[in-house]
Amino acid sequence: MASTEKQRAREMLDNLRFDKYPIPKERIKSIGDREVRRLDGVEKASGKANYTMDVQLPGMLHMRFLTSPHPHAAIKSMDTSKAEALPGVRAVLRYDDPEIQQEEDLGGHGVSPRLPIPLVAHFQGEECGVAIAADSEEIVDEALRLVEVQWEQRPFVLDPLEALASGAPIANPEDFPESNLEVYYEAGRGDVEEGFAESDVVLEFASRRDLHTYVSPERACGVWRWNGDYPEVWCKQQRPHIVKRAVASWFGGIPMNRIELHILYQGASFGGWSQFGWNLAGNYCSAVISRRTNRPVKWSFTRREDFYGGSMDYGAHQYKVGAKKDGTILAVKAESVYANPMWGGQGPVLHLEECTNIPHLYGKRSLAIVNKGPCTAVRCEQLPNTHTLTLVFDHVAGELGLDPIDVALKNDGVHGHDMAWASEEKMKMGFPQTDSLRECIKSGKKAVAWDKKWHKPGTKKLSNGRMHGLGFTWNHEWEDSAGSGEIAMRLERNDGTLRILGMRCDNGVNAETAYCQVAADEMGMKIEDVFYRPHVDTGFFTQTPDSSTNMSVNGFAVRHASRMLKERILKAACAPRAETQRGSYPAFFPDCTPEDLDIADSAIFVKMDPSRRLTLAEFVGPAGDEGPLCFYELYGHERTPFSEPMFSYSYHVQVGAYKGGIRPRFIRQAHFMEVEVDTGTGEISITKVANVNDVGKAINPMACEGQMYGGTYMGIGRALWEEVVHDPVTGVMLNGNLLDYKIATIDDCGPIDTILKESQLGFGPYGLAGIGEDVPTMIPALLGPAVYNAIGVWIDDYPITPQRVLKALGKI
Amino acid sequence: MKAFAHFNAASVEEAVSLLQRYDGKAQVIAGGTDLLGKMKDRILPGYPEALVNIKTIPGLDGIAEKDGLLKVGTLAILEDIAHHPVVREKYSALAQAARRTASPHLREMGTLGGNITQDIRCWYYRNPNNRFPCLRKGGGRCYALAGDNRYHSIFGGSVPEGCVAVHPSDTAPALIALGAKVLTSQRSMAIDEFFQVGVAKTTVLEGHEVVTGVEIPQPAPGSKSAFIKFAFRKSIDFPIVNCAALVQTQGGKVAQARICLNAVFPKPYRAVAAEEAIRGKKLNQANADKAGEAAVAEAEPLSHNAYMVTAAKALVSRALLACSG
Amino acid sequence: MSKDTSKFLCPYCAETFGSFDELAAHALAQHKGEPEPRPEGMIHLTVNGQEFDIQVQPQWTLNYVVHDLLGFTSPKMFCDRGACGSCTVIMEGRPILSCMSLAIECDGQSIETAEGVAQAKHPLIDAYVKHHTMQCGYCTPGFVTTAKALLDKNPDPSLDDIKEALGGNLCRCGTYPQHPKAILEAAAELRKDQGEGQNG
Ligand SMILES: Cc1cc2nc3c(=O)[nH]c(=O)nc-3n(C[C@H](O)[C@H](O)[C@H](O)COP(=O)(O)OP(=O)(O)OC[C@H]3O[C@@H](n4cnc5c(N)ncnc54)[C@H](O)[C@@H]3O)c2cc1C
Ligand code: SF4
Ligand code: FES
Ligand code: FES
Repeated sequence: MASTEKQRAREMLDNLRFDKYPIPKERIKSIGDREVRRLDGVEKASGKANYTMDVQLPGMLHMRFLTSPHPHAAIKSMDTSKAEALPGVRAVLRYDDPEIQQEEDLGGHGVSPRLPIPLVAHFQGEECGVAIAADSEEIVDEALRLVEVQWEQRPFVLDPLEALASGAPIANPEDFPESNLEVYYEAGRGDVEEGFAESDVVLEFASRRDLHTYVSPERACGVWRWNGDYPEVWCKQQRPHIVKRAVASWFGGIPMNRIELHILYQGASFGGWSQFGWNLAGNYCSAVISRRTNRPVKWSFTRREDFYGGSMDYGAHQYKVGAKKDGTILAVKAESVYANPMWGGQGPVLHLEECTNIPHLYGKRSLAIVNKGPCTAVRCEQLPNTHTLTLVFDHVAGELGLDPIDVALKNDGVHGHDMAWASEEKMKMGFPQTDSLRECIKSGKKAVAWDKKWHKPGTKKLSNGRMHGLGFTWNHEWEDSAGSGEIAMRLERNDGTLRILGMRCDNGVNAETAYCQVAADEMGMKIEDVFYRPHVDTGFFTQTPDSSTNMSVNGFAVRHASRMLKERILKAACAPRAETQRGSYPAFFPDCTPEDLDIADSAIFVKMDPSRRLTLAEFVGPAGDEGPLCFYELYGHERTPFSEPMFSYSYHVQVGAYKGGIRPRFIRQAHFMEVEVDTGTGEISITKVANVNDVGKAINPMACEGQMYGGTYMGIGRALWEEVVHDPVTGVMLNGNLLDYKIATIDDCGPIDTILKESQLGFGPYGLAGIGEDVPTMIPALLGPAVYNAIGVWIDDYPITPQRVLKALGKI
Repeated sequence: MKAFAHFNAASVEEAVSLLQRYDGKAQVIAGGTDLLGKMKDRILPGYPEALVNIKTIPGLDGIAEKDGLLKVGTLAILEDIAHHPVVREKYSALAQAARRTASPHLREMGTLGGNITQDIRCWYYRNPNNRFPCLRKGGGRCYALAGDNRYHSIFGGSVPEGCVAVHPSDTAPALIALGAKVLTSQRSMAIDEFFQVGVAKTTVLEGHEVVTGVEIPQPAPGSKSAFIKFAFRKSIDFPIVNCAALVQTQGGKVAQARICLNAVFPKPYRAVAAEEAIRGKKLNQANADKAGEAAVAEAEPLSHNAYMVTAAKALVSRALLACSG
Repeated sequence: MSKDTSKFLCPYCAETFGSFDELAAHALAQHKGEPEPRPEGMIHLTVNGQEFDIQVQPQWTLNYVVHDLLGFTSPKMFCDRGACGSCTVIMEGRPILSCMSLAIECDGQSIETAEGVAQAKHPLIDAYVKHHTMQCGYCTPGFVTTAKALLDKNPDPSLDDIKEALGGNLCRCGTYPQHPKAILEAAAELRKDQGEGQNG
């Protein structure tokens, strides 16, 4: 590349400052259009969309694991002879099998080597001991019951705070023999003690978040088939690249290009098993069994097994906050304990660091090991942060008798600086001067009639006898943090339609349609001519939803690839076309330069004379028999139009706030919740939610609203009921099913307002930021302030159950 | 699911004879919404050798008023009961209870007979693979007592076993408040006598006895009935507490009241103290609240379920007030 | 299965006999003239208008037969315990849960799945696409069949009717608010079609 070209490419992908290459307004046709149809709509509505659980192959076996009945136990001996003898059982793969005694990369964030079948269970329900494959799931189920195991039960600990107390049993002596404290991290700025000393009020409070989980509608599963020596794998996984990496490392190494991977539609995971270091054990064992039996093997977890993975905000917090009487917060100290996180995650004060001007912050997060399932980022790892931000701000407002909105505005800032500093930075970086938080608040206040309805805590009884409450919280949006994505695209022959290619999975967030919208407008194509279905085998690694970035990373890659492809097309349209053995083909627009041409409505045209036009279909020419390789010309036919293959690719590496230094965040979100509390039963009804999301630029508004609705429902479930309950005496999970673990139904929330703001203050293309993680992460803690406003008493333990409400009211 | 034999019964007699033939090892299946869940999870030490389908028996799904009685066949579908105009008008508590049971789909499948005959929902009892072989399965202890009993009895255990699992039915308290009778293949009895706690048992039914329907006397003039349910979610969930009441007023005062709570005791819990407290009183907030207090005066909550006492108190009061006007 | 094979079972009524002769005598006496009994476990099922004669085992659920054996992939298994509605199919006009129904008890029944709703060009499908009434889509066919059953019964449902009818359908992606919009639109569309049909 010439250096100017290089320079240009770099600038195009520059996400360190405001988007320098906005699309001209007149070209915007499908971006922001509410009428754009979902690519996957018909398939999903008609039930024809296929998921890994739907895969049925001829001769396919079914495989499941034995699970531990105890929370902490080692297998002393195991007799599988009865299971082996059961008719229909085809393979019994034991922990002592030579092929599975070596640690393998079983997925997870980093390379996470583990034994595919462990000998020791560290939580009740852990897959261990043996995997059995049989002709049907029914037979597997029977066979697993016939396995006789002598367990050596060990002492266990279930509560993270108890786990850290002295004398607690060691929860996992294999990996953490010393103590249940895996590690702790500290973060912050300034000197909190100084801050407390300068404060007018100092408040302290504690908060708990009980264990909750993701509940994927489709269970964890996968299918393995050997085609000769090469594997063909179907996998329910949000991260195709991790599956491929792991599979490539197995069995002495399988070249990446021999692995055929299918990631079909996914019954959502929200992070879920995709992040865990043994998500792939099923695939590994299926592979071994498949080779031994010469049959394809499908493995799955049961619905109950799906409940053993949790969200990594499970734990307890201790807060100390110092503030001035006017609501200026001077210092926050947060000490948190999280149970079983699969990775370090973020400490409790990260968001306070990023989007406030609070001078003194200290956050400590300790990671405790307990005998429950692993916890990971479940939409999303910022939960501890959003929890902290909401509780800190609303407690300060409550304590000082201030409107929480005023407290938010007073402390809004960027990395310890105030909004005046932020304004200057915006100017320097080319961003608009909008004050995102103020804009969000303005709309949200109107939506919930805040000025009319907000009242002093515990003062408004409704005519139905219930107490009325209104709550508010806010944050920045973090879906622009890091990651890299690659996208390729190609114009198809015959009809000149555009296909976007990327190694992706579909989780339902509909980013695929948004990519098409970007490509369509950038290329000048009709939206119906652009299509994107994840193509795992292209190898173009695309940032997937679980890694928290869609538009802000892949959006750049799509946009850049579109612009390059367009450039190529226009260049090719003026130059003599492809050289072939049969000679070259004349140029379509021999008298033009690329600058004279443009594309609109999927056709190339001359800007000065739009009547001279050529559809992209005509431009790329036909394929196959009609194409240039045919012999028509030998018989005197005219040469069919033809141009060289039209293909481009691009990539984008996001420089985020976490990696590569500080990038100021200017974009904000505000959330409002209205509740009614029944003081007789402790029941809370959420009567209204208003989400105001500044997404910078809404490419697909319907998809954004979908995220706001979905996040709200997930959030209220988390706030009101969601809790994985273990028997305190035996450590056995009590509610691993969809009846006893309660996710919200349609009727559990009143109207939800979805207000989109488009400040263009984001670091994504067109100034956008994301939306998928904010709402479900902000809504849970927001219930606390809303209920406080209703009953005048704080409930800081979540979920806020009727029991906790009645207790707070002093009724029990 | 594990295999079993299956029979479609053509008549009640055939169903009874099949049950007799299997001598306790066969189970009746109606809508199957309760039974199949138990079988899938293999919660009991035993497993039925055969299922006897009674949906193939004609004439058991009627809902009709005749001779001063509402007759509801055991196979009457809950959704149909909920929307039946006569039931809604005169036997409101039953219609309301049916309408608040489970979810729409389960109501389209579930039968009235199955609803009153269903098994308990204690999460120890229902833990898959008989993980907790407790008292109710013939085992030696109750795991809920020392464990997490947030959904268990607030009025103590059943005598003599000591189980604190609650009876989960939504329609049972309505039927009790309305003074229904249960008809079976071999007898008829007041519904208050129908429920009995035993090993893997919630009713007095013998192994080969089949419920055929219920009969409800027309409420006396001046009566009104109502049902109130408190559950976590607005749909699907079993009650945390529910309450049905039938109140007859005369001259502005309560002449008669039948009040039944459920999900608070191993059997539906007739709140006799509350009935007494409201009798002869005006039906207003203060008196209803007093009745609510009387209802729970004897409550002995366990370690995790004191909130249910408060809720039960509120529900008794609300069910009564819903019968006014 | 612990069926006593030393006994002779009447294929008509399942009564058992000690010998073949006794059974034959019984069959002649009791069941003469009745249509020939079908092999045990043979059921006749109509799915989306297609007819199937299929041999089932008593413990097989309708979901297993329709989804796994007959290959109609729309009734999805989410909870497998009657708590989520994603396996809903329409039978006798009722939205029922295929995971909690025994296939053997559906003999002679006609079943409609989301594939069938789409095949019949029901306006629900288009309305669902238009209103983005799906995210991951796993629960969607269960909503579609539930909504279809509602519209069959009540062509002009109110918002509350719709919310009540969908009370048993769980959607973890939280698409709930979009369903009533789509269903109301489909209902209007249907009424329009019918109106036109009557006029023409
Ligand atoms: C997710 C879920 C939520 C639920 N929520 C509720 C709720 O909120 N409230 C509530 O009350 N219930 C609830 N149920 C329980 C129950 O499924 C329904 O109430 C239903 O009415 C049971 O009827 P059925 O016909 O399906 O019973 P079945 O499952 O067929 O039978 C239940 C039991 O009764 C026996 N039986 C049935 N009919 C007869 C008869 N005629 N003679 C003798 N024995 C008989 C069966 O042998 C079996 O043991 C719920 C169930 C599920 C799965
Ligand atoms: S409450 Fe009853 S059913 Fe539950 S564990 Fe105790 S004895 Fe068993
Ligand atoms: S899968 Fe049938 S109701 Fe959930
Ligand atoms: S769309 Fe994913 S569960 Fe409903």
